[in-house]
Amino acid sequence: MNFPLSINLQSRRDLLKTAGGGFGSIALNAMLQQELGAAQIPPNSVTQIAHHPPRAKRVVQLFMAGAASHLDLFDYKPALIKHHGEKSDFGEHVEAFQNGLGPWMKPVWDFQPYGACGKMISEPVAPLGSVIDEISFVHNVTGKSGVHSQATYLQATGFNRPGFPGMGCWISYGLGNLSDELPTFVVLPDHRGFASNGPKNWSSAFLPAQHQGTIIRPGTSDPITHLRPSGKTNFATSMADADGQAVLARLNREHARERPGDSRLEARIKSYEMAARMQLSAPEALDLSKEPAFIKKMYGLAEPGTQWPKTINAPEEADYFGRKCLTARRLLERGVRFVQIWSGNDNGFPRRNWDSHEDIERDHGPLANGMAIGTSALIADLKQRGMLDDTIILWTTEFGRMPSTQGSKGRDHNPFVFTNWLAGGGIKGGLVHGESDEWGYKPLDRRNPTEVYDIHATIMHLLGLDHEKLTFRKDSIDRRLTDVHGHVIKELLA
Amino acid sequence: MKTMPRRFSILPLILLCGLLLDSSRGEDPTWWSFRPLSRPIAPRISEFRDADRAFNKIDRFVIAKLREQGLRLSPEADRRMLVRRLYFNIIGLPPTPDEVEKFVNDPDPNAYEKLVEKLLDSPRYGERWARHWLDVVHFGETHGYDKDKLRLNAWPYRDYVIRSFNEDKPYAQFVKEQIAGDILWPTSPDGVVATGFIAAGPWDFIGHAEVPETKRDGKIARHLDRDDMVATTMNTFSSITVQCAQCHDHKADPVTMTDYYSLQSVFAALDRADRDYDIDPKIAAKRLELKAQLSSSEQAIAKLNQEIEKAKTDEIRIAEKKIAKIEKSLSSENSNSSQFGYHSKIASTQDTEKWIQIDLGRVASIQTIGLFGAKEYGFDDFGFPYQFRIETALEESFEKATLVAQFEDVDHPRPGSEPVEIKAGGIEARYLRMTASKLWPRHMKGQTVSEDWIFALGELAVIADGKVAEVVGVHSLDSIQAPPRWSKKNVSDGLFGGSSKIHLEKWLPGDSKDQSAQLARLVDLRNKLLLRVAGPKAAARVEQVAIKSELEQKIAGLPMPQKIYAGTIHKGSGNFIGRGGLQGTPRPIFVLNRGDVSQPGDPVTPGAVPGIVDSLPERFKLPANHHEGDRRVALAEWITHPENKLTWRSIVNRIWQYHFGRGIVDTPNDFGRIGAAPSHPELLDWLAVEFRESGGSMKHLHRLILKSAVYRQSSSDIATMAEIDSSNQYLWRQNRRRVEAEVVRDSVLALAGKLGLKMGGPSFQDFVIEHPEHSPHYQYYLSDPDDPAIHRRSVYRFAVRSQPQPLMDALDCADPSLLVDKRSETNTALQALAMLNNALLLRMSEHFAERISAEPEPVAAAFTLALARSPNPSELETLNDYAAEHGLAATCRLILNLNEFSFID
Repeated sequence: MNFPLSINLQSRRDLLKTAGGGFGSIALNAMLQQELGAAQIPPNSVTQIAHHPPRAKRVVQLFMAGAASHLDLFDYKPALIKHHGEKSDFGEHVEAFQNGLGPWMKPVWDFQPYGACGKMISEPVAPLGSVIDEISFVHNVTGKSGVHSQATYLQATGFNRPGFPGMGCWISYGLGNLSDELPTFVVLPDHRGFASNGPKNWSSAFLPAQHQGTIIRPGTSDPITHLRPSGKTNFATSMADADGQAVLARLNREHARERPGDSRLEARIKSYEMAARMQLSAPEALDLSKEPAFIKKMYGLAEPGTQWPKTINAPEEADYFGRKCLTARRLLERGVRFVQIWSGNDNGFPRRNWDSHEDIERDHGPLANGMAIGTSALIADLKQRGMLDDTIILWTTEFGRMPSTQGSKGRDHNPFVFTNWLAGGGIKGGLVHGESDEWGYKPLDRRNPTEVYDIHATIMHLLGLDHEKLTFRKDSIDRRLTDVHGHVIKELLA
Repeated sequence: MKTMPRRFSILPLILLCGLLLDSSRGEDPTWWSFRPLSRPIAPRISEFRDADRAFNKIDRFVIAKLREQGLRLSPEADRRMLVRRLYFNIIGLPPTPDEVEKFVNDPDPNAYEKLVEKLLDSPRYGERWARHWLDVVHFGETHGYDKDKLRLNAWPYRDYVIRSFNEDKPYAQFVKEQIAGDILWPTSPDGVVATGFIAAGPWDFIGHAEVPETKRDGKIARHLDRDDMVATTMNTFSSITVQCAQCHDHKADPVTMTDYYSLQSVFAALDRADRDYDIDPKIAAKRLELKAQLSSSEQAIAKLNQEIEKAKTDEIRIAEKKIAKIEKSLSSENSNSSQFGYHSKIASTQDTEKWIQIDLGRVASIQTIGLFGAKEYGFDDFGFPYQFRIETALEESFEKATLVAQFEDVDHPRPGSEPVEIKAGGIEARYLRMTASKLWPRHMKGQTVSEDWIFALGELAVIADGKVAEVVGVHSLDSIQAPPRWSKKNVSDGLFGGSSKIHLEKWLPGDSKDQSAQLARLVDLRNKLLLRVAGPKAAARVEQVAIKSELEQKIAGLPMPQKIYAGTIHKGSGNFIGRGGLQGTPRPIFVLNRGDVSQPGDPVTPGAVPGIVDSLPERFKLPANHHEGDRRVALAEWITHPENKLTWRSIVNRIWQYHFGRGIVDTPNDFGRIGAAPSHPELLDWLAVEFRESGGSMKHLHRLILKSAVYRQSSSDIATMAEIDSSNQYLWRQNRRRVEAEVVRDSVLALAGKLGLKMGGPSFQDFVIEHPEHSPHYQYYLSDPDDPAIHRRSVYRFAVRSQPQPLMDALDCADPSLLVDKRSETNTALQALAMLNNALLLRMSEHFAERISAEPEPVAAAFTLALARSPNPSELETLNDYAAEHGLAATCRLILNLNEFSFID
C-alpha cells in the first residue's frame, strides 16, 4: 500500500459527505463495518443499524435551559426540610458561582409518592405522576463547570467548548434518516429566544451539514427558514415553483450528462427533489389543527387566541411546551429521528428560564408545571400509539442548584450534582439509578458519579450504536460524542 | 498488520490509527513532514509523452508521477472554461460577457498569462484570498459561547489580511506580524492590527467576566482560551496538532505535554480585548515615546517614594496613621461593588410613573438628599430618570405628601458620576419618596436605545439631624430583584456599583468639618516634617509628579487612537482583570495532569516543539527578566525560521488546495502521522523551497501554479483514467469546483448589478439585533434585501458565531467556531430551499431581471451573464417557455439555481 489506510478512508468519507442524508450514512455504516469489523447490518433497511440490534429508533431530548433545580422537582431531600433555615455546612470549601450560599433551604413544594414505584416528586411536576412507572431517574449526574455556556455545551455536545456536533447530529450521522421528506434532527427552541450558545448546541460542526439540527418554530408564519419564499417578492408562486423544479431537473440532468463521473451533480439534483417533498410534507406535519380536542387538552394546549397575563404563569407555559411536545410526536410519527425541545431562553429580563437565582417558586413553578403537562402527555400518547417502546425520552439540563439559599428565595448553580431522567425506548421504568448525598450537594458516592458521557453512551447503545466506534476524524483525532469516556448504564436497560 | 494494542482502546483514536501507527513506525521512523526541507531536482521527462506540454517544474513533477501510475495529462481546457475558472479562482466573481469574449478572441499567445496578471493585480484578489485565510484562523465578530456579544473592533484585522494579500506581503513578515507585530513593528499600522489573529477565535465572556481566575471555572475558561491561541497558531502556520497533547503526550507525533504547555506559556500574559493603535506611524511613534517616558517617570516616582519612606521618622509615621484614619472615616470604602442599586420593572411607555421610598424609622429633620446614579453597562447614571420629583411624608402611604423638589418641566441634566444634591431645608419627615415620571430606555452604552423603559438608582442618601440618616426600610412601586446586583435595599447600602466613593460626609455640618480641618493641619505637619528629613527627595518627587502629569496631558492630547480586538495584555476590573496590573507578567503555566486545571504539575518555560527547527532549542533562550512579547517574538522566529520543516510546506499546500480543491496533503492542518501523506512529496518540497526563496511571495506561487499545464487541464472525466485513479489524486485532470457560499452571494449581487465594491471598514450586518442589552438576538429575517449597505462582498459580512447566517450556513460557509482548513461540501434539501427562497436571492433575481429586461433576448442575456456562455437552442427554448409563463424574475431565479452556476469546470 502506498498510502496509509487513513488516507483512503478519509477521501472516501469526503466523497460520501457530498451525498445526501441517508445515502451517506448507509454507505458510511457499511464502510465502517467492513473496515472496523462490526456486526452485520442490512445495508438498505429503513432502520439502519450500525453496530448491534437496536432497542430504539428515535429520541426526544428535553433540555431545561438555565439549570433546573433537582431539589425542588425530582430529588427529594428530607434533610433539607428538617434543617431548613439552619446555617449550611457543606463540610468543605464550596466555590459558588455567585457566592450565594445562605442557609439550608427546603424544597419550595411538597413531594408525594406516585405510581407503583412510589417515586416522590413535587407538586408542579405532579402531572408526571401518571407516567412515573415509565421513568428512570439518575440523581447523581455531575458536570464540569458552573458556567452556563460550557455546561450547556457539555450536555448538548459532550464537550465544554464550541466546535463539536450535538448529540442529534451524531445520531443522524450514525443512523441516517427514516424519512426523506423531513429533516433527521429537529430542534424546537423556546420561542422567546435561544439558550446559551444558541444554534451551536445543535450545529453539525465538523460532521457534514445534513446532520445539523433544523430549527422548527411551530405555529409561526415561517416555521422552517426558507421553506417558502421569504421577503416581499411575489413572483415565486407555487406554480412557478412546480414548473421551475421540472425545468431545473431537465437542464441540470442535461448538464450532468455532459459531465459523467461526477456524483455531486446528481446529488444536487436529488437535493432539489427532496426540498420539494419537504415543502409538501412539513406543513402537514406541523398542522396541529386536525388533532382531536382530547389530544390538545391532554397536551395542555390553550384555545387559539387566548390572551396571557404579563407575568409568568403555568397555563401559558403548558400551552407553549405542550405545543412543542405534540409537534414532536407528529414529527416522530413521520420519520424524524431526533427531536430536541428547549424550555427557557437566555438570561433576559424578565426571567423566562430555569436560572432561578432570585426566586425558585416564581420561575420553576410555571415552567415545571408546563413542562410536566406536555411531557406527561407525550409519554402517554407515544405509549398509546405503541411508539414509546422505540422512542427514548431524555430530560436534562445544564446543572443543578444548591441546597442552600441565594438571597432568600433563590438557589445558586450546582454543577456537582443534578438529575437526568429517561423513559421509553428500552429504558427500564420506575428506577432510581445513582443517588445524590443527603443534601443533594454532590453524588452520594463521589467516586462513581454519572456523567453526560454515560447518558449519551446509553442512548447510543439503545439505538444500536457503539459510542466508541462511531467516530469522525478531525484534526488528528477520531472524535466521538463521548470523547474518551462513557459507560453504558446497564442497570437502566429493560 | 498487527492488531491494535489493548491499551489504546480507551483513547480517542480508534483502530485505524493504531494500525497506522504500527505500519508507519515499522517502515520508517521519520515521518515525511519531520524531514529537513531541501529542493528536490525536478524529474527529467523529456522522453515522456506530454513532455512538450510541461510549462514549468510543477508539470515535470506531476507528469512523472502520472507516468508512474499509467496516467497522463488531460487536454487543456478551452478558453471559455479557463476564463471562468480564473475569475472565480482568483477574484471570486464571474467574468462579464465582454471580458469572456475579449479573452476568448485574444490573438495574443500570452493572453492567458496576461489575464492571470490582471486578476492578481485586482484588489478583488485580496478580498477573495483573505476569505480563505479567515476560515483557517476562525475569524468571527462575536464572542460565541453564552450571550455571544459583538466585537465591534475585530474588522481591522480582516482588512489587514486583505491588504497583506493585495500587497503580496512576504509570508515570513505576515506570520511574524500576526504573532508579535505589536512588538516587532509597534508603530506600523499593520503591526498591532495583525495581532487580531491571536484573538480571532471564540471567547467565553461569562467564564472571564463573571468568574475570577481564582475559581476553578475561571481557570478552565482561561485554560481553554490559551488552548485556542496555541491550536490556532500551530495548526495555521505549522500544520501540527499540538492541542492533542493537552491531556497526554501526543499519541502519534513527537509532541509532549511539556511541549504543549510550553506553547501555552508563550501566550500566558495575553487575553482577548480591545487595544489602541494609531494608523499614523508618526503618532504611533510619538505615543510610544511618551508612554516610555511616562513609564520611566512612574518608576522614578516609585523609587523616590521608597527612599522617602525609608527616611520617615516615627513622628511622621504617627501623623500619617492619623491622616489615614480621618480619610477613612471621611469616605465610604468599598469601591467596585457589585451591588448596583434599585432597578424598576420594565414599563412599556416612557411616561409610566415609578417610585421608590425610604423609611428613616422616625421623624427627622432632613437637610440634604443625595441621588446617586447606578453604574452599569458603561453608564454612571444607568436608569436615572429624565424627570422626577422628591416628596416627604409622615405616613408610609404618602397620602399627605410634601413636595421637596420637582424636575418635571424640563429634563434634569444627566448626572453622570456626580451625585444630585437636593437641599431639603430641615423638613421634618419620616418617609422620603422619589418618583420618576419620565423614564430612561434600558440599553448598553454605545448600543441602540430600547423600548424598555426603566427607573434605576444607585443610592438614595439623606442627611438628617446632622448625620447620615439610617434607613430602616425601602419600598417601591415595583422592582426587579436580582441580588446582589439589583435589589431595592441596595439604595441605602452606601454602595452603588462603581469605583467612586460616596462622599456624604462632605455635606455634614460640624463634626466632619472639624475633621477636615484637622486633616488639613495633619497634612501640613507631615509635609513640613518630611521636608526636614527628605527635602531634596520630596522636591524631586514634586517635580517628577509634575512631569508625569504633563506627559499624561500630552498623551491625552494626541489624536484619538483606533481600536482593534486583539490578543493583548489586558488591564481590567472586576473578575476580568488580566495581567495589565502586573506589568504584563505572564501567568505561570504548569503541565496539567490530564488537562485538569486543579492538578498542576511541573512549571514550564516558553518554547515550541522539538525536532522541527534543528538549529533552535525547543525551549526558548530568554533572559530571566524578559518581556512577555519576547516569548511571542521567539515563537514567530521559530515558525518563520528557514529551517522550519513545517511552515513552508504548510503554506504552499494551502495555496495549492485553493487552486485544485485538494491539497497535496489532504489534511492541511495536520502534517502529523495521523494526517494524510502527500500525494506528491517532492513537488511539495520543491514548492516550499521555491516559495521560501522567492521571499515568501504568494503571487509568485500563484503564477507558477496558474500557468502550469496541470492547472490548465480540462476537468472532464476520462473513464480509462478514472479506473486507475478515481479520486484524481495524481491530477490527470483539473477538479470541477463547487463555488463557496461567498462566491454565490457575491456573484448574485454582481449579476443583479447591485454589488458594491467599497473596500474595508466596519462589517455590514445583514441582521437586526433584538435585545442588545443582554444576549443579542440576531434576526436575519428582519434584514432588508434592498438595503445597499448589505450589497457588499461577503468577506465584509459581520460573522456571528452563535447564529449563523441562514443562506451562508446552508451553503457550507466556514463556521468561525472551528479551525476550517477545508470546507465541507454538501447537497441538502435545506440548501436547495435556501437557494430557491432566500429573501436576498429572490430580490436579486428581480434586479437581475430588470437589468436584462431591455435586451433583445433577455433570457439568453441572463444566461450568458451567469454562465459565461450562450444557451444552446434547447436550453433557450425551455427557459423562454418558462419565462413566458412565469416572468423574467422567476427565470433569473432558476438560472441562479442551475448546477452550472454552482460548479466551475
